[in-house]
Formats: sequence, C-alpha cells, structure tokens
Amino acid sequence: MPSYKLYYFHGRGRAEPARLMLAAAGLPYEDVRIEFERWPEYKPKMPMGQAPVLDVDGTMICQSVAIARFIAKESGLAGKTNMEQARADMMVDGFGDMVNKMADYVWYEPDEAKKAEKKKTFYDTTLPEFLGYFEKLLVANNGGDFFVGDGLTHADVFFLSLSDDITAEKPDVLGPYPKLAALAERIKTYPGIKEWLAKRPKTPW
Amino acid sequence: MPAYKLTYFNGRGTAEIVRLVFAAAGISYEDVRLEQDKWPELKPKTPMGQVPILEVDGTMLCQSNSIARYVAKQAGLAGKTPMEQARVDMVMDVMDDMGKKGNAVFWEKDEETKAEKKKEYEETFLPQFFTCVNKLVGDSGHFVGDELTLADITYFNTTNLVGNYFKLPNMEEFSGLKKVTEHVTSNPGIAKWLKERPETPF
Repeated sequence: MPSYKLYYFHGRGRAEPARLMLAAAGLPYEDVRIEFERWPEYKPKMPMGQAPVLDVDGTMICQSVAIARFIAKESGLAGKTNMEQARADMMVDGFGDMVNKMADYVWYEPDEAKKAEKKKTFYDTTLPEFLGYFEKLLVANNGGDFFVGDGLTHADVFFLSLSDDITAEKPDVLGPYPKLAALAERIKTYPGIKEWLAKRPKTPW
Repeated sequence: MPAYKLTYFNGRGTAEIVRLVFAAAGISYEDVRLEQDKWPELKPKTPMGQVPILEVDGTMLCQSNSIARYVAKQAGLAGKTPMEQARVDMVMDVMDDMGKKGNAVFWEKDEETKAEKKKEYEETFLPQFFTCVNKLVGDSGHFVGDELTLADITYFNTTNLVGNYFKLPNMEEFSGLKKVTEHVTSNPGIAKWLKERPETPF
C-alpha cells in the first residue's frame, strides 16, 4: 500500500474533491493542512509552487483534478472503460467550468460592486444553463442514479463538492433539478464519504 | 475501427489539441468546421451547449481535454500506468492554467488594464511559469516516460496558441522544453498536420 500525503490549506477549496475521493476509496492518507504563514516553506517543494499536491511514496502530483482522477483510478472508481472514463471526465470538466466562474467573483474580483454584479449573473444565467445540461446528462445515464455506469465515479464526487459550494450560498438552488439534488443527497451517505462529512474540520471555505 | 467525428468552428482554439492527438496517433477522423450561422441549430443538441464535441459510436463527448485524453488513451499516448497518467494529466492542467490566464488578458475589455495585464503576463508570469514547467521535463526530453504523450503535445499546442498573440520569452533558455518541442514537431503525423492544417485567425 503506497503512502499518501495530501498538502493543502486549512479549508475545503480545491482539495476537497480529492479528500472525498480518498474517503470513498477507503484509502488512509495524511491530511496536511498548511497555515498560510508557513506556506513559503512548502511552496518551493511543490511541482508548480501551488497546492493541492498529492505525495505518493515521494512522487508529487499537483492539479486538483489530476489528483482526484488518480485516486479514483487506483480504487476502480474512475469508470470501467475508456468511454466511461471520458464521460466522467467531461462531467468533471463541466463542473470545473462552473467552479471557475464562481471563483472569479468569490476570490478574484476585488471591487464590491462588480463582485455583486458577477454573482447575480452567475445565479441568474450561468448556473441555470449549466445545471440544466447536467440534469439532462444525469437522467440520460439510465435514469440518473450516477453520472456514469452503475456505480460511483469521480464525476459524482466532484458534483457533491460543487453542490456543497452552491448550496452554501443558496440552499434551495437545486430545487428545479430533482435528479441532481437526489444524487447529492445519496452520495453524502456513500460509505466512507458519510464518515468523512461527519468528522471533517468545519471551515468557512 | 469506430468512426470519429470532431465538430468545432473553423479554427484551432480548443479543438486543436484533439486534432494534434489524432495526427500523432495516425487515427483518421471527420474534421467538421462549423460556420457560425449553423451553431444555434447544433448548440441544444450538444451535451453542454459547447464545442468541440466528438461523436463516436453514437456517443457525444464534450470538453476538449476529456476528448483529447480519450483519443490519446485509444492510441496509448496517455501514459502507461495510473501514476504516469496522473503526471500527464497534471501537465495538461498546468498548461491549461497558462492558456486560461492568457485568455483572460485577451478578453479584458478596458484597453489600459489589458495593456498592463499583457505586460505582466509576458514579462513576469510566462518566464516564471516556463522556468517551473521546464523542471518537469525528464532527461528523455519528454514530460512523462521516454515516449511522446499527451503531456508533450499539450505543452506544444498551448505554447503555440499563446505565442500567436503574446510575446514569449526566449525559449532557448529552457532546454527541457526545447527537447519536448523537437519531439512533438518531428513526430511524423504531427509534422504532416502542421504543414497541412488550414490557416485560420484563431
């Protein structure tokens, strides 16, 4: 069994899909949470000077999605064929597009007025368009218990993480999307994930 | 052999990585280039209202990186083990960050801000970025293992696209990246495609 060390800050942020994936896979790991003041010590050791980073027996992988996909593959949760894997990957990329649009106003817009405007556009226009597509794709997969195939993949885990972020800002945002809402609730009870959600540190992001 | 149909606009853009992988793999495909006025009709039929899409065996895939990874896997160009594949994915995503940052500068509406951001991107970001990425190249002159992978092709493609609008630093300084570029451009399938591909504004 390789040893896994996940380096990130003390928050869910970009590392949470990997933590959820490790939980679903039942893989033990060291959850290293770096205080911001200590980051300058760690930064030069990371492949691109960024976190999260997964250290697997000394080999370092950066980029949150690459990390989560690796863990998924190691535990047979990435899709059973190349086509299933591609369909799972495409969902994750779609969720990523939404996350990036959120990050744009949450993290990267310093002007309060512009921030409020962008947030409004996100919830009025962007989110309904994307969630509409995601609901349709979910239902198209045999009625929609999972995004791909007949079991959990990293696509479902990334959706849970996205759903966490958007429902934190607007709790009833999944109301018009019953299958997406049901999937998020179901994945919360998945063995491993259920335990992690109960014990994970409570952080503002 | 399945029939592959790639649909995008008439340009390189986010489809080009897929075209380069098909070229390296020697896999034939239908390269559909949509006129802008045909797009509204197709949009609702696509998985996420976007192109590129790849149709294969009755399934429609979207998201350029996922499509590229799928085609690369069919041809053994995505890394041989889960760890190699993770390293390939990591390089793809790193290059994506560079491309996205460049895009954000390109689409900046305020002319003065745009000029400032372009300067920062060219003079500060890119040199630091390439210095870091150069360290990821192995002694083989490839990012992963000792053969061409999607990581090498992605590095070449993103740098090529960014270089069309932005002034790149002196790439001679990055010996690893130079080797990667040589490997990619000397791949017979890619060399042929680079010569034959349509000249387009984007």
